[in-house]
Amino acid sequence: MTTGSQHIIEGQKALAEVLFNSIGDGAITTDEYGRITRINPIAQNILGYSEKEALGMWFPKLLAAYDDDGLAVPLIERPVTRAFVTGKIISERVHYKNKDGKLLPISMTISPIMVKNQPVGCIEIFRDITNEVEIDKMKSDFISLASHQLRTPLSAIKTYTHMLLDGFMGPLTKPQIKSLKTIVSASNRMNETISTLLNITRIESGSIVVAKKPVLIDQLLDEVINEHHLAAIDKDIKINFSHPSTKIRLISDGVVLKEIFANLLSNALKYTPNGGQVKISIKSTQAKLIISVQDSGMGIPLESQPNVFTKFFRADNVVKKETSGTGLGLYLVNGLVKELGGEVWFETKENKGSIFFVSLPLLPHIIKTGTVKK
Amino acid sequence: MADILIVEDDKDLNAAYKIILENEKYKVRTTFNGQEALKILKTYSPDLILLDLLMPIMGGLELLEKYNLKDHPKVKVLIFTNMENSPEVTKAYNLGATRCIIKSWTAPQNLSKVVKDTLKTNQLSLN
Repeated sequence: MTTGSQHIIEGQKALAEVLFNSIGDGAITTDEYGRITRINPIAQNILGYSEKEALGMWFPKLLAAYDDDGLAVPLIERPVTRAFVTGKIISERVHYKNKDGKLLPISMTISPIMVKNQPVGCIEIFRDITNEVEIDKMKSDFISLASHQLRTPLSAIKTYTHMLLDGFMGPLTKPQIKSLKTIVSASNRMNETISTLLNITRIESGSIVVAKKPVLIDQLLDEVINEHHLAAIDKDIKINFSHPSTKIRLISDGVVLKEIFANLLSNALKYTPNGGQVKISIKSTQAKLIISVQDSGMGIPLESQPNVFTKFFRADNVVKKETSGTGLGLYLVNGLVKELGGEVWFETKENKGSIFFVSLPLLPHIIKTGTVKK
Repeated sequence: MADILIVEDDKDLNAAYKIILENEKYKVRTTFNGQEALKILKTYSPDLILLDLLMPIMGGLELLEKYNLKDHPKVKVLIFTNMENSPEVTKAYNLGATRCIIKSWTAPQNLSKVVKDTLKTNQLSLN
């Protein structure tokens, strides 16, 4: 005969089992050794393993995790390990290989199960996001095609405007020249926006091509500064460029680097008030090159700082002043710097300005490459 | 002066390139897709092909595959596209394109300059 309290415990256990099995996503629990103690029907369905096959198995062995490039995630970096070691909840996207050997994109959250401040296991909730990934790809393909289609008429607008300016169709009056220059400038702005959108979709879809070759960084920055010369003159801003006297050559992608520094310089000029100063400097260590772009603008408020590199980010103080912008530039910079194997960060003080730092590896670095013949 | 074949499906751009290059005294022929270009190239050997990548009927990459630049080592190919940083550009280089530039960033004076430089050099660049 069971006692009343035993009866209650049994009832609670049964309820816990029912609740666990009713979770609408895949759910797996482990003990403190990482052995699977529970797997709900949805997890069994996603992964193709029965409860009998999964229970008692070491979680990382049953379910190998892979990154976006299809490389196995080392045990120490697995979310299950980190959750257990740090005692923190971790939400990430990984790929799991199911029983049939198929890689599935997975969105998961893993939490340590704590008893008296000690982890005694983990619980992972996850779902198969194959459909979401496919929709994302369709979206990227659509933006890529739409951007390309937008550019074709834009190329014609720019080419014919330049032809008019260059006198192909006869001499022009001063007001006509001024109007045509406005058309060129507006076309350039639209082109930049399309470029940004295209690059973002390429980064997000993993299809950006990085073509590695020797780049002289001070020469490249000189070119970027020259391209922004007119914008600086318009606001009477002085651009101060300091760099070591010896030329620094790094193996990287000049087109991508230009995009990064054009964005940072364009931002610095946009947020620096008339008559202000923008400083660009290069410093090198043995392994790294650090380039900084400093503005004397309004700075980034503390509460906005964690979001600086997120998509569509625009700081509150900027929005209030109605400075134009899409909020995509720094998101793009962050993605491009990562593609080059570098890092980007910033220091900022409200009403004083911000400094953005980009560090790039100086030693030949293994990055994704496009094939470029010499 | 050099012979140039323009392969560009956008009629406005095709006409503009013709005006700009004829102004520089080049001998220019125009066509609007890869298939038409292949027909012309059977009997015509230009010094340079100014080639768009994305075109109806036959695009630039397919044209390069079928024309096979190894059989025509003296012909330079200048890719003129809006598909920057794309795998298509890399593929065009692998098929022997001499140079690739982005249409919507290029002013007419730059087009003439790039054509002139491409005719002079074999060096490849992504710029």
